[in-house]
Amino acid sequence: MRKTPLWSTWLLGAPVLVLLFVFLVLPYGEMVAMSFRTPATSAPYGNAWTFAHYLKALGDPFYLGVLGYTLAVGTLIAVLTLILSYPIALHLARVGDRWYLLFYACVVSPLLVGVLVRNFGWMIVLSFSGPLNQILLALGLIEQPLRLLFNLPVVVLGLVHVFVPFMVLPITNALRNIDPALEEASHSLGATRWETFCRVTLPLSLPGVLAGVTLVFALAISAFVTPALLGGQNVVLMPSIVIQQLIGAFAWPFGAALAMALSLAMLIEIGVLTLAMRPLLRRVARWS
Amino acid sequence: MFQLTRRHMLAGLAGTAAMGSLATGFDRAAHAQGAPYVVNTYGGRWEKFWRAQLLPKLEPMLGRPVKLDIGLGNGWVSTFRAAGKDKSPFDVLMTNERYAVMLRDEGLLAPMPAAKITNLADVYPLARYKNDAAVTGIVSPIGIAYRTDLVKAPPTTWRELWDAKYKGQLGFYSVNNSLAVMFLMLAGKLFGKDELDLDTGFKKLAELKPFPQVDFSGAMAPLLTQGQVAIAPIDFAEAVALQQKGVPIGIVVPQDGVLMFDQSFNVAANAADKDASCKYIDFMLSPEVQTLLAKEFFTAPVNSKVKVPDELQAAIPVSGDNVSKILTFDWQFVARNREVMLDRWAKEI
Repeated sequence: MRKTPLWSTWLLGAPVLVLLFVFLVLPYGEMVAMSFRTPATSAPYGNAWTFAHYLKALGDPFYLGVLGYTLAVGTLIAVLTLILSYPIALHLARVGDRWYLLFYACVVSPLLVGVLVRNFGWMIVLSFSGPLNQILLALGLIEQPLRLLFNLPVVVLGLVHVFVPFMVLPITNALRNIDPALEEASHSLGATRWETFCRVTLPLSLPGVLAGVTLVFALAISAFVTPALLGGQNVVLMPSIVIQQLIGAFAWPFGAALAMALSLAMLIEIGVLTLAMRPLLRRVARWS
Repeated sequence: MFQLTRRHMLAGLAGTAAMGSLATGFDRAAHAQGAPYVVNTYGGRWEKFWRAQLLPKLEPMLGRPVKLDIGLGNGWVSTFRAAGKDKSPFDVLMTNERYAVMLRDEGLLAPMPAAKITNLADVYPLARYKNDAAVTGIVSPIGIAYRTDLVKAPPTTWRELWDAKYKGQLGFYSVNNSLAVMFLMLAGKLFGKDELDLDTGFKKLAELKPFPQVDFSGAMAPLLTQGQVAIAPIDFAEAVALQQKGVPIGIVVPQDGVLMFDQSFNVAANAADKDASCKYIDFMLSPEVQTLLAKEFFTAPVNSKVKVPDELQAAIPVSGDNVSKILTFDWQFVARNREVMLDRWAKEI
């Protein structure tokens, strides 16, 4: 076997590194710098440096409240998506190869439809003259159609619907990586199916759970389109406040500071979750 | 079996590079025939109308190809600011006055060479500016639309929207839409000291909650269609379009004043082609184009020589001398208090 020279490995990686640098590192660096700039009217931002935007973002009870609320809603969405996705992932991991492809396609298929289309789907289903109201009227459960849209439960429903595939896939991969012999051993030592699930299957799938929860949480707290459409601006989350600052008030530095505060809070929450799960992950690492 | 060798790769790359240089060659050829004159407008129906009805007339008039810049007001503000005073992205900016006033304050827009724009003389006073800093070229009057099947006794004034019987049926706009700002100031004017009385405006607007907020009137239309919203301030053009689709919509011209979406036409501070810019603005103010706009968007003509055709009278309830009755607002005040308004809107509404 010929050893690949180091330079050619770097050469192969170069396009990716350039792409990441130009489209991720540079803009992000610019955002961080902008969040410390003074506001200006005749340019996107002034030349002087300031901490004022962070003092406002983290000192004003309103913005702190929105930040906390956004994190809480993101956590709720991640938990609900997990509860809904785990059984699907379990089933997907258990079916034979022939069915696996079909079910896999079913789980992934919603990703082929844009978020906008799916949101409009919910808007039509839940609308004042929509099918759900029609069915409830026909069953005689309500006398007047209900205005069901534009509240938090609908936003949560819409986002959970969008995020299920992102949770199912990593958990399925983790479950398929578990050696069947481990579960058989558990059975032969007298464990019931429930005990086997709780003490073998679930702990061994934790790496997949952590990946799925992290991904869904990050996507949920940065979602803008769904809260705007299904929340009708009544559900105030941080991304919509950031957008308002950027394109409504042209307050780019303050908007950037709010976005940074959101990113930082997200990193902290994900960090705490990862640290809390570390002892468990260490224990199962030997078997996976 | 196809094997990709280094030679193939190199040949492929060379081919790609050749295509690239060919393309830039074509580009240069286009510039040699006269660089395109850039005109801005909105997407959707606006873009279609500009392409189909205006450009074929405009290009021979200017003797240059015309290119469209499709976008929204807040985007143009950003591009004008980013480009700076000496190098504006294009010569004439059409946008809501709430955006234009900011750029004008920052010296990015200059007064119009009024003498070269002959149609200005026929424009209603409402659309004229002090020192001809700009001109309102398009007026879309705004009233109240309501669902005839859901609202038994429709309101006849803005003031009546605060009647308890309409609670939960109203729809409004998010603060990024100028109509939201107008409505806030209108509430101050109706119930407080004057239109600058923001405290009263916010207090009264909060009384109407809960209501969905949309970003633009095109997004209000589906909510009215579904009945999710039964009463909303909306421009007559959008309401008539819904009526024509068969949605049971009634239109109210509020007795306490009609609002408007305006499009002001502004010349950039360092317009590259002042002559073409004057021709374009003159063309937009001409009776011919004002009539075309009225037919397409049910706008109230700003040129006093245009009489709204009979078949459009119902769709354009405010026109002719009545245009002067449309309420106008101090956008300079809005621009200076932008952040305060936005902050309070986020917290209180």
